[in-house]
Amino acid sequence: MDIIVKTVSRILFPFIILLGSFVSLHGHISPGGAFAGGAIIATGFALLILVFTEGDVEHKLTRHELIDLKSVSGILLLILILSMGALFRSELLSTQTPLALWSGGFTMFSNIAGMFMVITAIVLILYSIVRE
Amino acid sequence: MRMEKSKTAGALIITILALFLLYSTVFIPKFGSFENKEVAVYYLQNGLRLTGSANIVNSIVWDFRGYDTMGEETVLFAAAMGVFLIIRRRRYGHYR
Repeated sequence: MDIIVKTVSRILFPFIILLGSFVSLHGHISPGGAFAGGAIIATGFALLILVFTEGDVEHKLTRHELIDLKSVSGILLLILILSMGALFRSELLSTQTPLALWSGGFTMFSNIAGMFMVITAIVLILYSIVRE
Repeated sequence: MRMEKSKTAGALIITILALFLLYSTVFIPKFGSFENKEVAVYYLQNGLRLTGSANIVNSIVWDFRGYDTMGEETVLFAAAMGVFLIIRRRRYGHYR
């Protein structure tokens, strides 16, 4: 790709990651959530994959790492939704204040796990279908 | 002979099912009306107290309907792994 496109996307990439992390980590207070934040972060990775040669990106973040991350976050989400959220919600809510950053029960942890699920799904599909 | 019997039986079953489904459309609330609002009002009034999250959409998605979201994540997982396994690329002479 062009040197201009490469430089601009290299500068822009951390800010895209920052915006996506904010949207999904702050999702229990402000509009947003795991799906929106994960999609924003995945667009950052899509920018890198399309601008630089795809082998360079895949050298840093391999498919096997993505699959491991996806499995771990899926199992974490399963545990959170099936057991923790129902068993320990009232104990957790008694230590939290509403509308603060530390609030929302297990919603914040579910948001983080769901964010990783969405990111890994989109990046895996991009790795599979993008050909240089 | 057996083929025709099973065909008529299937047609009968489908007709009865279609009649039941058509009859059930009578009880569906009118489009755009807000009649079955007990669940929505309950979520809006008790969402902050029960789940503690100020974003009502997030509390519904991850707490009230958590099993539904879990199934959605399962679908996401299956879709990504299916695409990865089917459209993998042949590179350096071998699949990886």
